[in-house]
Amino acid sequence: MVLKVFFPQCCNRADSGLLVGRWIDGHDAAVVLTVIHYPFIPGQVKLYVQQMQAQSRVELSVLGSWSLPKEGQEGMESFLRDLSTIFPQERWLQISREIGKTGFHCQVLQRDQNGRAVQQEPKKKKKKEEEEDGEAEEEEEEEEDDEEKVIFVHYEQRKVMLSQLHPIQNGVPDPQADPPSELRQVFQTVAHSDPLFFMDKYDDGPLKSTHWQTEGREASIIVELLKHASVPVCLLVSWLLSVWTWICGMRIFSLYPLRFLSTKLSTCVQLSYRTEHMRTLSSPKAAAGHTEFMRKANILVSFLVDVALGMLLIWWLYRENHISMLANTLVPAADHVAKELDELLQWLMGAPAGLKMNRALDQVLGRFFLYHIHLWISYIHLMSPFIEGILWYGGLSACFGLTFALSLLSDMVALLTFHIYCFYVYGARLYCLKIYGLSSLWRLFRGKKWNVLRQRVDSCSYDLDQLFIGTLLFTILLFLLPTTALYYLVFTLLRLVVVLFQGVLHLSVDFINSFPLFAVCLRICRPYRLAEGVKFRVLSEEPGTALHLLMEINPLKGNTVVQTYRTPTYSCYPKDSWAALVKKLFVGELIYPWRHKTTKTD
Amino acid sequence: MGHRRRAAAVNNPSSQRVSGAPAEAVRVPSRKHNICMVSDFFYPNMGGVESHIYQLSQCLIEKGHKVVIATHAYGRRKGIRYLTNGLKVYYLPLQVMYNQSTATTCFHSLPLLRCVFVRERITVVHAHSSFSAMAHDALFHAKTIGLNTIFTDHSLFGFADVSSVLTNKLLTVSLCDTNHIVCVSYTSKENTVLRAALNPEIVSVIPNAVDPTDFTPDPSQRQDNRITIVVISRLVYRKGIDLLGGIIPELCLKHPDLHFLIGGEGPKRIVLEEVREKYQLHDRVRLLGALEHKDVCGVLVQGHIFLNTSLTEAFCMAIVEGASCGLQVVSTRVGGIPEVLPEDLITLCEPTVRSLCAGLETIIARHRSGSVPSPASIHACVQNLYTWRNVAERTEKVYDRVAGEEVLPLHRRLQRLRSHCGPVAGSIFAFVAVLNYLFLLLLQWLVPDRFMDKAVDATGPLGLWKQEQSSKHRALSKSATKKAAEPKISR
Amino acid sequence: MGPDSAPDPAVPWRKVLWERQPFPDNYVDQRFLEELRRNEGIRQYRYWSVVKEAGFVGQQLSCVAIFITLWLYMEQGRLSPETLLWTSLVCALLGYGLYQALTSQVEPGCGPRTRLADLQSATIFLSFTFGFSPVLKTLTESVSTDTVYAMSAMMLLAHLVSFPYAQPSPPGSLSLNAALFASVCLASRLPGALHTFAMLSCALLVFALWPCLLQRLRENAPCQFAGVCLGVCIVGVGGLGFQSPGGAVLLALALMSVTLLCPLLLVRLQRHKDNIQGPWDEAEIHEDLSRFLH
Repeated sequence: MVLKVFFPQCCNRADSGLLVGRWIDGHDAAVVLTVIHYPFIPGQVKLYVQQMQAQSRVELSVLGSWSLPKEGQEGMESFLRDLSTIFPQERWLQISREIGKTGFHCQVLQRDQNGRAVQQEPKKKKKKEEEEDGEAEEEEEEEEDDEEKVIFVHYEQRKVMLSQLHPIQNGVPDPQADPPSELRQVFQTVAHSDPLFFMDKYDDGPLKSTHWQTEGREASIIVELLKHASVPVCLLVSWLLSVWTWICGMRIFSLYPLRFLSTKLSTCVQLSYRTEHMRTLSSPKAAAGHTEFMRKANILVSFLVDVALGMLLIWWLYRENHISMLANTLVPAADHVAKELDELLQWLMGAPAGLKMNRALDQVLGRFFLYHIHLWISYIHLMSPFIEGILWYGGLSACFGLTFALSLLSDMVALLTFHIYCFYVYGARLYCLKIYGLSSLWRLFRGKKWNVLRQRVDSCSYDLDQLFIGTLLFTILLFLLPTTALYYLVFTLLRLVVVLFQGVLHLSVDFINSFPLFAVCLRICRPYRLAEGVKFRVLSEEPGTALHLLMEINPLKGNTVVQTYRTPTYSCYPKDSWAALVKKLFVGELIYPWRHKTTKTD
Repeated sequence: MGHRRRAAAVNNPSSQRVSGAPAEAVRVPSRKHNICMVSDFFYPNMGGVESHIYQLSQCLIEKGHKVVIATHAYGRRKGIRYLTNGLKVYYLPLQVMYNQSTATTCFHSLPLLRCVFVRERITVVHAHSSFSAMAHDALFHAKTIGLNTIFTDHSLFGFADVSSVLTNKLLTVSLCDTNHIVCVSYTSKENTVLRAALNPEIVSVIPNAVDPTDFTPDPSQRQDNRITIVVISRLVYRKGIDLLGGIIPELCLKHPDLHFLIGGEGPKRIVLEEVREKYQLHDRVRLLGALEHKDVCGVLVQGHIFLNTSLTEAFCMAIVEGASCGLQVVSTRVGGIPEVLPEDLITLCEPTVRSLCAGLETIIARHRSGSVPSPASIHACVQNLYTWRNVAERTEKVYDRVAGEEVLPLHRRLQRLRSHCGPVAGSIFAFVAVLNYLFLLLLQWLVPDRFMDKAVDATGPLGLWKQEQSSKHRALSKSATKKAAEPKISR
Repeated sequence: MGPDSAPDPAVPWRKVLWERQPFPDNYVDQRFLEELRRNEGIRQYRYWSVVKEAGFVGQQLSCVAIFITLWLYMEQGRLSPETLLWTSLVCALLGYGLYQALTSQVEPGCGPRTRLADLQSATIFLSFTFGFSPVLKTLTESVSTDTVYAMSAMMLLAHLVSFPYAQPSPPGSLSLNAALFASVCLASRLPGALHTFAMLSCALLVFALWPCLLQRLRENAPCQFAGVCLGVCIVGVGGLGFQSPGGAVLLALALMSVTLLCPLLLVRLQRHKDNIQGPWDEAEIHEDLSRFLH
């Protein structure tokens, strides 16, 4: 078996002393956390370790001794060995290093039944030591075949402490489940024993120790102040939220048309998302785990960015009277669209693209749609004096964030293109009716019928009159299909353009809402904070000495960061596939830019 | 042609040099073969052909032959797998077309099959089931490569309609130069001889077998206050499920203590469900759905009578299993069924509702009078009728006989194709054979046989698997035959 | 081990599998293939009876020809819709009377359909056709004439192919629908709405009601049936002859080959039939098992 010793880099040059750390059960590995220097009183050390254990809930223990003899300190060998009896352990590591040499020398003392420490094998050191007591060692190596080898894994304490190993395991570990992997245990040990690192090397205490220390405390003071300041802010926000929730909860809003509208208007949807986000942020409890903390941080950062972008938009809009310019272009644009539609309909009522349409039906449909356009134009002209005001007040909503402005824009587009939507719905319904009629009459044509109970096509003998009328209707529907299909096609294309535009708006809103900005920044600036694993680099490897490895942290991949930390929004719901969309279009079912959260499954 | 076989013989230290007279081969019974079983149907698919291949292979391994199986990939099960006792299975990446049968172009499987044959130093290719396109491909390619071939036919076919005319023609071509054919019953032999226009002398009849230890009676499972009729078959037209749908109401109205236990799944399930609904027999007709092979015995022992309503059957394993569990067997008189069980163990009826009802009623009457033999005595009669060891011994004789035969060289193969299969089909397939031969030459030029890695034998005379466990060999091989159709997978 | 190893003559071979017999596995007994039977249950056809049956096919072909002839007359304006309507009405009444007479011969009393139901059906036919005829008239306006002709020809062919000659009453769905589709296509090419109405009524008569009457005739008066078929054929050829002599010749040739030549071929080829039956064949279920379900 190979014994792995995880050794912090900052303790490489520490003064001699005791190694404090943890044995990892079942993996034959030890994590060294700190070195307590001479001189010390063993009782105090024990007390300290117990205190730390209580605080950090990590099974800390004294692992062994560390010696880095300075000039004039000689003959500590026997003293170090005696220490093992003071701190009774199953195994006792004796690690020593000599000035000017890179490798460590390690001895593992195994405790036998009587409680006496037995030197199992002194081994594994670096190059130059061989010259001194090489002979003795070689003899022993020959004697013991399956001796224990030691591998030193050097790690950077700060990075390992701060990093979060992915994939994240939440909650209390299930006792039935597999125990966490060795690496995970190492990370957890280091992360949980941060109380150990609070002891400052400048403190005048009974014990002195070496471990990682923060560089300065000023930054942390600012953080503390901010934390205190955030409490009243949170209280205020949550009070506002409760007022808002009370307003929303009023009965008048749950009436049918309002509720239906509020689920379809993207501004309302965005409002509910934001409310949800603010509720998460303003909760007085501190984030319980890493995931929740990251979620809060992501929401906060994306909210701030959103508001900043919104302010930018406001600044642009209200400078130099952009609003009225927009309003003045909007009405003629709508007029223009209506005129174009008029022309399109006139073209369709002729012989469009040389297609042979049924003249009578063509005229009927064309006039019907033309009438709608005239209705629409008069509506727009009625609205035109108010448009500037609507825009002016609507623009103010950007102070809640860019997403609000975009949602508002999307809703306005939906309202302004309502005529296109109407045309589309008429065309689609008519087409859908024809397709269904034709498909069932085609079954009649072949002498079959659809069996609803068995969900299959059965053969059936029809009466003479049924056959006759069915065939008559089939013929009529078949010859009228091209006309309807053409109208449907044209209006569907128009509708698709609108849907596409709205889809782009929705996507950008969704992007701002859900993009884990904080996590991505963390990944860029502090790659070690989000770890996906580790890699080892060989520091020194020579025959006869212990293997020295440097453990480096593998940062999480970019797309994994986004996938793990994105805030769930409606884009996370399952989407229609392209094939399903095409099928819907072909059959004449209605398509919408929003998605139905509760799709009926029957 | 034929060089491949000689090379294989040289490579295989156990097989003696073939020096001519078949008689010599016959005289050496200890001769061991390298056999490749080819079929589209194998585990994880389940059925008669699959378990036949598995059991036969296990018994041949026990006799010291080397056996490998080639089939197509089933979903994620692809590559090479080892089953119990080192039975090596090649799951080849071939496209499945219909009903687990692969698509065939006569050519595309040649590189893969050649690779298997050369790597494993195969001496005999044994193809199974006429529904398997891969089996026919293997027969064709084996002849091109110069190996002796055997074909086992598991099914019956009619002559009446257009589709059977076509398939029979293809079978004629496929079996035209196959050395020996094995059929599972005499009826099947007559059928195959007619379909493929064969010389009946090269067709052997070797019945299927049933492992009697898997099917032992257990009268304690029966409920004595009722009479239970068990039906276990796929619920398809060919199994006569429509007849069953007529028998159930007829008998249930007459005998209030009659119960039906039906195992199996298929498109005709709806017929049975409708009958059950219409006559309100939900408590007396139980539809168990698809059954695992290991559960079959547990269902059989609950019954008193086993009913088989098949409309066609080459060799009905189900009735042997039923009889082995001590049940009275009632069956239709179709296909090879009359050959399977002696008259005192089976009641044969015409495939009509009336005849089957009459047959069942006589048995029920006998049951009520207590004049039926005990399950244990029926089991004792049946248990030694069909054993896999017997099947393996008889198949081994076929291998010995075939190994001595000469593989036709190309020009004589073409002549035989044209004389045997008619001028049109014969010429077409002679052309295909020539193309196949050229393709083989190309492959041999690209990757010569001598550069191909030879596989390590798991089974056979030099089988490493056996050597490892030679001490336990006896015990293991005994238990191997017991594990009917639940092959243990060890990768 | 070979097939040539001499069997013990003392023990006769049995066709059973459960017994270990002292024969090799590939032993071929004298009784091999003794259960093989050939051409079992083959019907022997007589030429004239086949011709009689084929006459029905020829008759249907002539019906289509008659319909096309009528349409041609209408299109050229040589036949006024009123005439056609009156003629159709008279024919329909005559045919209905005959139908009832033939029915009452077999089952006096109530048939499956009452007069009222027949009247109801007739009203539905007439009112729907009359109501839809203006729509139908404009239906194929923008479609080119060639397309309409091609479609009609295809549909009439489909009618002839899928016509249930063995049991023409009730009419098969596909064949009747195809014929009606074709007649709607053709009728919509006619000059006026009344033309369309007349043409469709005529189509209903020819394609839907006539086969029912004929079936009755075939069941109850087989001798007259042959005469009627012959008559229809002659009327068809003659009618077409006034319009296009070439077409009439073609039709006559087609009728000849269908009614005379094809039966001859069938009877001749019957000799070469070679059907093999044996115990391996899939058993057929002859009973009517649907009685257990319905």
